[in-house]
Amino acid sequence: MTELTRRDDPAAIRAIGHVSTLCGVVAAFMIFASVLITCQMIFLRAVMGQSTVWQTEAVIYLMIGATLIGLPYVQKLRGHVGVDLVPGMLPAGARKMLAVGVLLATIFMIALMLGYGWEMFHLAWERNWRSESVWGIKLWIPYLAVPLGFALFALQLVADLWAVATGHDDVNPDVAPEDRRH
Amino acid sequence: MEPLTLGALVALFTVLVLFSGISVGAGLLVVATGFLFFVDGARSLEALPELFFGELNSFALLSIPMFIIMGAAISSSRAGPDLYEALERWLTRVPGGLLVSNLGACALFAAMSGSSPATCAAIGKMGIPEMRKRGYPDEVAAGSIAAGGTLGILIPPSVTMIVYGIATETSIGRLFLAGVIPGLLLTLLFIAWAIFDTWRRGAAGVALSGIKYSWRQKFEILPRVLPFLAIIVGVLYALYGGIATPSETAAVGALLCIVVVMIIYKMVQPKALWAILRDSTRESVMILFIIGAAGVFSFMLSSLFITQSVAAWIGDLDVNRWVLMAIVNLFLLVAGFFLPPVAVILMSAPILLPIITAAGFDPYWFAVIVTINMEIGLITPPVGLNLYVINGIAPDISLKKVLFGSMPFVGCMIAAIVLLSLFPGLATWLPDAVMGTAI
Repeated sequence: MTELTRRDDPAAIRAIGHVSTLCGVVAAFMIFASVLITCQMIFLRAVMGQSTVWQTEAVIYLMIGATLIGLPYVQKLRGHVGVDLVPGMLPAGARKMLAVGVLLATIFMIALMLGYGWEMFHLAWERNWRSESVWGIKLWIPYLAVPLGFALFALQLVADLWAVATGHDDVNPDVAPEDRRH
Repeated sequence: MEPLTLGALVALFTVLVLFSGISVGAGLLVVATGFLFFVDGARSLEALPELFFGELNSFALLSIPMFIIMGAAISSSRAGPDLYEALERWLTRVPGGLLVSNLGACALFAAMSGSSPATCAAIGKMGIPEMRKRGYPDEVAAGSIAAGGTLGILIPPSVTMIVYGIATETSIGRLFLAGVIPGLLLTLLFIAWAIFDTWRRGAAGVALSGIKYSWRQKFEILPRVLPFLAIIVGVLYALYGGIATPSETAAVGALLCIVVVMIIYKMVQPKALWAILRDSTRESVMILFIIGAAGVFSFMLSSLFITQSVAAWIGDLDVNRWVLMAIVNLFLLVAGFFLPPVAVILMSAPILLPIITAAGFDPYWFAVIVTINMEIGLITPPVGLNLYVINGIAPDISLKKVLFGSMPFVGCMIAAIVLLSLFPGLATWLPDAVMGTAI
């Protein structure tokens, strides 16, 4: 798959791209960790006959964390599917304008999620909320992924907006059809 | 404002926003936030991240990244071509052997990978050149693989079915079983049409002649494909034996598939393993983002009383249940022309399911109908992913030929929908027989 960051892109766009790639690596390992933890949980329960305490909750939070932290990486790879029928039919100028509008709307939306997500995290931190399970993990830990993930997503979106506005990106989706699934 | 008028406005704005090219997840969030803000005021937005988080806070959802890793591990290896090769060697004496082995390979690979475009690419890369070399018409070669690939979302394990199960709170194990017989039925219909079309185009001789393979050749390929089939069978056995939940079995399956790929295909380089993780992360994050956003979207629909009002309104219409089903099918078909299956199911299932069950239809049977409609969307323009995959792997077959080759298979799928409507037992018998009648 082609990575969209190119050599002639401004340094800031490239730097943000690298941060997003790092997010992708973190997300991938979080998902892989949830595979291993789930297998360990089954082994403990089925083979050792022990009861499990923290595993179920941990894998769910890892999956949610991976989703949020992975958002900027998928954005960088243009992996978020959309209906590109209309943009594809427009002349280049109009397509660029539409792409700028779409990116602005997405950035606004994600900024909103970031703002309210920060409040959600902050409240859990301040009041020291814990999950209701036996494990009772401090909820600010999984909630941290919400503002963090949306902030990094917003950062990548701003980089994309910059690239589109300055003509560094041709606004075409770059994921080959066989790489898209379902 | 009346909830129904509001519902119509939501539908209109959703179409407008999504057609702008915005990603489906962000688009759903924009529409949901916009309507919540204008109808209920800014305070209603405070809960947005909690709704998003809450929607993803489910152990059942874990089966999605797990099954995707299974599929990505299998797709990244040479398992596709090997499976194709194995079936070719074993089925060469069957009339229409190559077509049967191609479509059979599609069905099996679809079961293993759970992905339609990946199936098309994996089987098509070998199957299309081989069919053309032996004199099959281009339309048949391209069309049969495009259509065969769509089986990926119907034959279990299928991510589309998992998403339906989560959106409608139905049993994923039961949904998987409901897809088995219709999947086989569709495979048979595809094979029948492909053989007929080959004969019709005057190439019957090609379809009937087969190359002879020795028993040695037939057996030497088995060790490379049987482990994957064993994993799939094992996963499904664990699921139905009540040993573990779908997420747990999928996690074991994912780990086993990675291990098997490392052993059989010697994919031990960090780069190859990273490719599996990277592809499955991208795919999982994309789907989970849409699921989280769809959670916010359906909260908006129900908090503005749109879901309830639309269901009540359709209930009051008092139309014949089959007319209702035809309208629902038409809606799904049109939505599937433009949107990915996951998005269509997440947006429409919460509204459609109460209507469908109130009209006396079985939710598991309906899952199969929805999925076949989504399959049609994969081989019809303008979005038809599979058409572009075929075009990518066989660039010298024009998109027009791929399209004309695929269209009759849409007919097969519609025939399957009709058959399923006449004999609902095709979808409901197996789940009932294995898991007992649904309550």
